[in-house]
Amino acid sequence: MNRRFFLKSGSVALASVGMSLSAPSFLERIALGNTLAGGKRKTLIAIFQRGAVDGLNVVVPFGEANYYELRPSIAIPKTEALNLDGFFGLHPSMSAFKPLWDSKRLAIIHASGSPDNTRSHFDAQDYMESATPGVKSTSDGWLNRYLRSKQDSERSLFRAVSMTKTMPRVLQGREPAVAMSNLSDFAIRAGKSSENLQGGFEAIYARETKDSLAGTGRETFEAVNYLKKANPAQYQPENGAQYPRNQFGTSLLQIAQLIKAGVGLEVAFTDIGGWDTHVNQGNSRGQLANLLTQFSSGIAALYQDLGQRMDDVVVLTMSEFGRTVRENGNRGTDHGHANAMFVLGNSVKGGKVYGQWPGLKSDQLYEGRDLALTTDFRDVFGEIATRHLGSTDVKSVFPGYTVTQSKFKGFLS
Amino acid sequence: MRKTVALILLCLLTQPLVFAQKHRSLTEDQRVIHVLNRLGFGARPGDVERVKAMGLEKYIEQQLHPEKIADSAAETKVRELSVLNMTTAELYEKYPQPGQLLRQLQARGMLPEEMASDAAKNNQNTPPANPLENEKNRKVIEEYYRENGLQRPQRIIAELQASRILRAVYSERQLQEVMVDFWTNHFNIFANKGADRWLLPAYDRDTIRPNAMGKFSTLLQATAQSPAMLFYLDNFQSVSPNANQGRRGGLLQQLRPQQQQQQRQRRGINENYARELMELHTLGVDGGYTQKDVQEVARCFTGWTIFQPRGGGAAVNAMMGEAGRRNPGTFFFNARVHDDGEKTVLGHKIPSGGGLKDGLMVLDILAHHPSTAKFIATKLVRHFVSDTPPQSLVDRVAATFTKSDGDIRETLKAIFFSKEFNSTEAYRVKIKRPFELVISAIRTLGADTNGGPGTHRWIERMGEPLYGFQTPNGYSDAAESWVNTGGLLERMNFGLALANNRVQGTTVSLAKTNGAQAKVMDEYLKTLLAGDISAATREALLKQLEPSDPATKVVGLILGTPEFQRQ
Repeated sequence: MNRRFFLKSGSVALASVGMSLSAPSFLERIALGNTLAGGKRKTLIAIFQRGAVDGLNVVVPFGEANYYELRPSIAIPKTEALNLDGFFGLHPSMSAFKPLWDSKRLAIIHASGSPDNTRSHFDAQDYMESATPGVKSTSDGWLNRYLRSKQDSERSLFRAVSMTKTMPRVLQGREPAVAMSNLSDFAIRAGKSSENLQGGFEAIYARETKDSLAGTGRETFEAVNYLKKANPAQYQPENGAQYPRNQFGTSLLQIAQLIKAGVGLEVAFTDIGGWDTHVNQGNSRGQLANLLTQFSSGIAALYQDLGQRMDDVVVLTMSEFGRTVRENGNRGTDHGHANAMFVLGNSVKGGKVYGQWPGLKSDQLYEGRDLALTTDFRDVFGEIATRHLGSTDVKSVFPGYTVTQSKFKGFLS
Repeated sequence: MRKTVALILLCLLTQPLVFAQKHRSLTEDQRVIHVLNRLGFGARPGDVERVKAMGLEKYIEQQLHPEKIADSAAETKVRELSVLNMTTAELYEKYPQPGQLLRQLQARGMLPEEMASDAAKNNQNTPPANPLENEKNRKVIEEYYRENGLQRPQRIIAELQASRILRAVYSERQLQEVMVDFWTNHFNIFANKGADRWLLPAYDRDTIRPNAMGKFSTLLQATAQSPAMLFYLDNFQSVSPNANQGRRGGLLQQLRPQQQQQQRQRRGINENYARELMELHTLGVDGGYTQKDVQEVARCFTGWTIFQPRGGGAAVNAMMGEAGRRNPGTFFFNARVHDDGEKTVLGHKIPSGGGLKDGLMVLDILAHHPSTAKFIATKLVRHFVSDTPPQSLVDRVAATFTKSDGDIRETLKAIFFSKEFNSTEAYRVKIKRPFELVISAIRTLGADTNGGPGTHRWIERMGEPLYGFQTPNGYSDAAESWVNTGGLLERMNFGLALANNRVQGTTVSLAKTNGAQAKVMDEYLKTLLAGDISAATREALLKQLEPSDPATKVVGLILGTPEFQRQ
């Protein structure tokens, strides 16, 4: 019997009487974590818009004449955009965001993104998730490196959760993380025999040593056991929050549920696809408009549901690159460069579009066609890692890049 | 050239020495199991003996020539899947999308009465985009489909998925099915992108299958001209902004005014296919092309398009007894919108006035580029040998690819008869992808399946639905990018469901077992894993079993072991 197995069995037994010796089990770590931190654990919810959202039609620069010139059929008319500051306006289907902007809980960083000029979805997503633009050999994602940079004695197995079918690049790496598409499926499902069979699998995987299956197997059952206690089927959103009834809405709802269950969630991730609007992207109505409704109403519902808990939560949205300023021949847009990111939370200094606006005149465009970049996404990530999550070793999170306070935009204090 | 020869010679001279130390060879029995696992989807009961009797080398040779293997059992199994033998035009006729159908019916004043009156009342010009959201509409539409012998389009992909499962389980041409899976993933297409669900049956039947073991250049051209790929990567809409606008006769004038208007608005070049063609289909992302090359390649492919990509109202036409003038959903080259100027691609000059030849030249340049040989060799070695492909093997396989003019069969041979493939380092180290896990479990148990959605649902739960990967890179073949807790749980749940006959459409009949638990368990370990199980797992398994436990528990647990996840 190896030491780990002994400690584990021993501590599970102890957990049932609520006591702990020197090596707390996962269950106890959670219990301890919540008592010690008083439920005030900081959480980041990162949302990836896969496919490259057209940021220019999300945070619309209606004060730019060239915007209308280059987008004859898809531009959002000034009269329809939700005015933010007299120059920018939100896409009209994002009205759910407007109250959050007005109450200064939503900040926008425009003309931000990756300095690499790739227009490949895969490369650009890879770079945004590894946070090493131009370097493909990076094996782990920046959120996983963050977890490693802040070793946490109370950390729980639900410290990092991705509500996706597969583990996203951003959370891949040495630190454990859990990926699942739905909380209620996260169990051995065999009717009356479930417990007996789960015990069987647990014993088998406890002895496995080879390749990625060994660690994954052990983590799986620790997580399953804890989740049983949270009783996901019983969840009711609070404050009248209504999530969209689709995968994205469900993912956000379950993230809120994990936060409220106090499982020690520190980094949550989910994604939403369909943004690659090469053809017929629409303007105030249409393909992009429908997606933006889901996107913004989902995040607003999460905000409402979490209520006061948003004091300790920050929501960050990102997308691999922006889209061409000029609309293409198919009333769509092609792969571009800089984009807009959203940051939301009660601690956010919102109601402001951060970052320098580079302009849309032809000599201001990147490579003559795209919105130029004025904020490196690592400065945004870095500010959140430092000021919200409290990372003390942000250097190791962004290898090959110098993250300094002076480059932070100041959307967090 | 001399340098290459010298390099190959050097490899041949040095490699055997290195591998003699590093790679231990497999035993004869292990080789048979290894080949059945990697060139196919695992052994069915009796397969190991059959291959031994035939001789392993002969079996591999036979697998490399699927056209010579009789396959009546698999063909019988898929016979009832009618979409497999239908042309794209027939699919548009019989499986119309409800919203589109209603718009066409309305244009002809043929809306079902209940809906026509609603539309008039609300003064709507078109029926709602998704008429199925409305309960009343849904009933009217269901009735209309039934009366007119129509089916819902979702059915197409369900049948196509079923055919992939059935063939992987029952086909004697196992390597052919493995290569169909490989190329379908390499040239990935997402079923839920627009018209692709109608275009995919032809893609599987006419593009991938006939070319899965032939010349890479033929396969590449087939994908480039496949309506499914032209639609998925948007090339069907890519037109030269400089195309001669004055001489537009013929096609455009045949269209109704509204369509003419649409055609005019949709003028523009689209780089999507050009980029993915080089990044994902041939050279690889570091294969040495520039943004300028992407633009030039895109120019070469302007005018490669699809005739009536969305069916052109085939269902309504057929009901009215009007045959289409041409087959909707087929490839054609529209010279009128092609950019006929001179282009330069990867340093090669493409002369002006080439028309359709421009794209063909590009495909030829790419298929024969050294980066392509390296990229395809790496992917094949990763698939068949190891998640971390040994560089020396990749180099030799790439050399074979080049020397044989991209002959896939020869390239595969170079892998199958290599020391690396036949070494203990490669034995049972690849973690099965969800499709492979499901098929191998069904095969090893000798289960019977109809391949239907009840079975496919499990592949989806494990994270890799067939034709369900949205982006063009396809599912990764390296386990570390997808082994995760949720997926692992679903694997265990699948094994339990299968053993207990809870996978809808799939039936297992486990033999009645008698005798001590250990004996029963060892019998199943032999059937399912050829006895390849660690002492620790065997001991842990045995501890779970009580005398009263049914065989379903033993089998369910074994299917969920780490050992069964590997091939």
